[in-house]
Amino acid sequence: MPTVLGHSISRVDARAKVTGEALYPGDLTLPGMLHAKVLFAGRPHARLRRLDVTRARQAAGVAAIFTAQDVPVNEFGLIIYDNPVFIPEGDAVRWVGDKVALVVAETERQAADALKLIQVEYEDLPVVSDPRAAMQEGAPQLHPDKPRNILCYYRIRKGDVAAGFAQADVIVESAYYTPMQEHAYLQPEAGLAHIDEEGRVTVQVAGQWTHEDQAQIAHALALPEEKVRVVYPAIGGAFGGREDMSVQIVLALAAWKLNRPVKIVWSREESILGHHKRHQMYFKHKWGARRDGQIVAAQVECIGDAGAYAYTSTKVMGNTNLMCTGPYEIPNIHVDTYGVYTNNIPAGAFRGFGAPQGLFGAETQVNKLAAALGMDPVEIRLKNCLREGSLLSVQTPLPPGVSLPQVIARCAQEARWGESIKASPSPTVLRGKGFAAGYKNVGFSFGAPEKCYATVELHGAARIEELVVRHAGAEVGQGAHTAMAQMAAEATGVPVARVRLIVSDTAQTGDSGSASASRLTFMAGNAIKGAAELALKKWKDEERPAIATFLYRPPKTTPYDPLTGKSEPNFAYGYVAQAVTVEVDTETGQIRVLDVVSVNDVGQAVNPQQVEGQIEGAIAQAQGWALLENFITKDGKVLTPYLSNYLIPTVLDVAERVRPVIAEYPDPIGPYGARGMAEMPFLPLAPAIVAAVHDATGIWFHELPLTPERVYVALRERANIANSTKPD
Amino acid sequence: MKHQITTWVNGERYDIEVQSHHTLLQVLRNQLVFTGTKNGCSEGECGACTVLLDNAPVNSCLTLAVEADGHRITTVEGLAHDDQLDPIQQAFIDLGGTQCGFCTPGFLIAARALLDRNPHPTEEEIRVGLVGNLCRCTGYTRIIAAVQEAARKKRSRRDN
Repeated sequence: MPTVLGHSISRVDARAKVTGEALYPGDLTLPGMLHAKVLFAGRPHARLRRLDVTRARQAAGVAAIFTAQDVPVNEFGLIIYDNPVFIPEGDAVRWVGDKVALVVAETERQAADALKLIQVEYEDLPVVSDPRAAMQEGAPQLHPDKPRNILCYYRIRKGDVAAGFAQADVIVESAYYTPMQEHAYLQPEAGLAHIDEEGRVTVQVAGQWTHEDQAQIAHALALPEEKVRVVYPAIGGAFGGREDMSVQIVLALAAWKLNRPVKIVWSREESILGHHKRHQMYFKHKWGARRDGQIVAAQVECIGDAGAYAYTSTKVMGNTNLMCTGPYEIPNIHVDTYGVYTNNIPAGAFRGFGAPQGLFGAETQVNKLAAALGMDPVEIRLKNCLREGSLLSVQTPLPPGVSLPQVIARCAQEARWGESIKASPSPTVLRGKGFAAGYKNVGFSFGAPEKCYATVELHGAARIEELVVRHAGAEVGQGAHTAMAQMAAEATGVPVARVRLIVSDTAQTGDSGSASASRLTFMAGNAIKGAAELALKKWKDEERPAIATFLYRPPKTTPYDPLTGKSEPNFAYGYVAQAVTVEVDTETGQIRVLDVVSVNDVGQAVNPQQVEGQIEGAIAQAQGWALLENFITKDGKVLTPYLSNYLIPTVLDVAERVRPVIAEYPDPIGPYGARGMAEMPFLPLAPAIVAAVHDATGIWFHELPLTPERVYVALRERANIANSTKPD
Repeated sequence: MKHQITTWVNGERYDIEVQSHHTLLQVLRNQLVFTGTKNGCSEGECGACTVLLDNAPVNSCLTLAVEADGHRITTVEGLAHDDQLDPIQQAFIDLGGTQCGFCTPGFLIAARALLDRNPHPTEEEIRVGLVGNLCRCTGYTRIIAAVQEAARKKRSRRDN
């Protein structure tokens, strides 16, 4: 049987993407199409006193204006229905991106003009924009059922931290802050809705989970799910930012009520204001270790800013709760994690899903312990890291296939960690190196239902002429559809050229779950493999065509015990380690990343070129978070709603050299041994950079991003202290 | 106000009426339906709307449609000839230069312009040549590699 697994075949969508033929949501049109514009509240906390659309309704070209009273069930949300589709009169606006109305007109211009004629009276309310303040008694309460604005609280109690600290020879205490991050996918939100030939309201949109979009639209419109169809055309990036609803529900509502096609395209500003961000988080860490490097206790408090609505915060904070003590086996652990409502933009999924925030403090603590003990950062990690059979903080062992010790050792070897780096030729430029590691769950965690459907059809007579894979999994740019085609070919021996994909359409595919949590290769692979085996059996039994559907369910996970945190959090993981070299210009505070070595255990690379592309892309995005991307808000208002003031890395900003190293220690339950991998290369980079900057300058930084200003000020402060303590 | 303009898009002549305030991007996407050219920011930051105005790469979101009067425009749809991909397109496919693909048309045009004026760019020259285009997926590594590959292809073809 010819093997296609492990070969870097060209992406199935590459030709359409390089010729301009690939159609994204904003490229779609239909005859008789109307255009929609959203009226956003534009203020972070206010009572909507009066809403008058009379004048706007009479404006030229206006077909309809929709407000809260037009929505049958005026609520949505991925985890909790705490989010109104439109803010009704008398209710509170909770963030600047709350929607007030939708104008639908013959042209986009007419819709924009009519939008200005909508009259809204607000009564501003006190704004709470810091989650630490929002938790205090007396802070404005944003949701009636959530006292002190606490959306979720998790704790972990393992061993006895007081006894642990008593055994410690060194104790490191630090506070950390990790900032919000904007996804900045290149394609702003857009979509086209119409009523299809079977009377279904059909929404073509960029999302991450067709069937969840369908369920939330159906809920808000009070329609049976089969009356709603969601189709994904080409999607211009996602990174978690399309996991929650943006334009889906309002588009469906307009098309359903008007029985005409309705299109919407958000501007970049609307995109930045209108979808969630990576959670900003505040951490307090206290860790202790013995002289031999054994970490004996870790105590962490984490406060995450959920923003105005839940989105996926309960899940993200749950993941941070697990990740904030790092990939180490520590006997005594005490963690308290809070997700807190504020009047900021809602926070939600973003590559890493709470793990980058959690690991930033954990990995920096370990690097500080190593420095305090005079120990090598690799050595302390090898001494403490998770290995086969290790007990997690939540007191259960990891699933088999733990490769972290090998991954750390391989990274040290590939990066020639033991050798000293060359000094910069410039006396004002300092060089340093840093190391960090991490692990990332694959698939949904903590008892969330996890499943994935696939259907395989074998067509032909004497031989299989065509293999059709039906799968809902979203191709957001990560190469999922190519991986699906390769895995289907591998499972059947049919050449990949004869594989045809029918994908991302609720009317033609079963629920595959989301393109998130690094889960799609793992979940889709197992589902496709299962369906292919069944279809092949039918083919041998002379069925033509041979069609089989398979539902893959991974091993069950369990939620946190509310008192101790005990749980079986995940069914699979990937493991990663990175070594970086940086340069710090002491005259400008500018940091340049010279070299990143990233070793990633992906189990089995289905398509090595695409795997390397994910590693390189994740590193660039993590470098943006660590050094450059500065999402600034003031009292709930966004001061950086454009790509001209929210800067993401250009080709001149990214690391000079990135070496993606693929390690392949098979996951015992992964398809062909594959693990999920697209998030984990994001995780260690920020703490590795912070360690490298410390190595270069002797200064520990505790807040991201390390902008030139922040670095320069710290260098200056240290110079001033040095000068003031010098004898005259 | 409306203007009558004559422009050649991907070699084809268009005599069209355009609004004075419409950008070249709006006219290309909405009026002439060349949707390969993308709008990522409308303010000249992302480069997804890059097209060639004669031989120069421009942000079509910052170019008024009337500025195309009497000029040749090349969009991503004009790079291939009779199904024969431009070497830069082939290199993006072969080396994994495209992921989500939304920035790809702009990168291909910017890279084509770079290679036309400098057939043998160094890595540094490639980076400088592409600095006006943002990509959020690839980390740029494979885009740079694709431009290098296209330069090699072009060179070997000429050597033959």
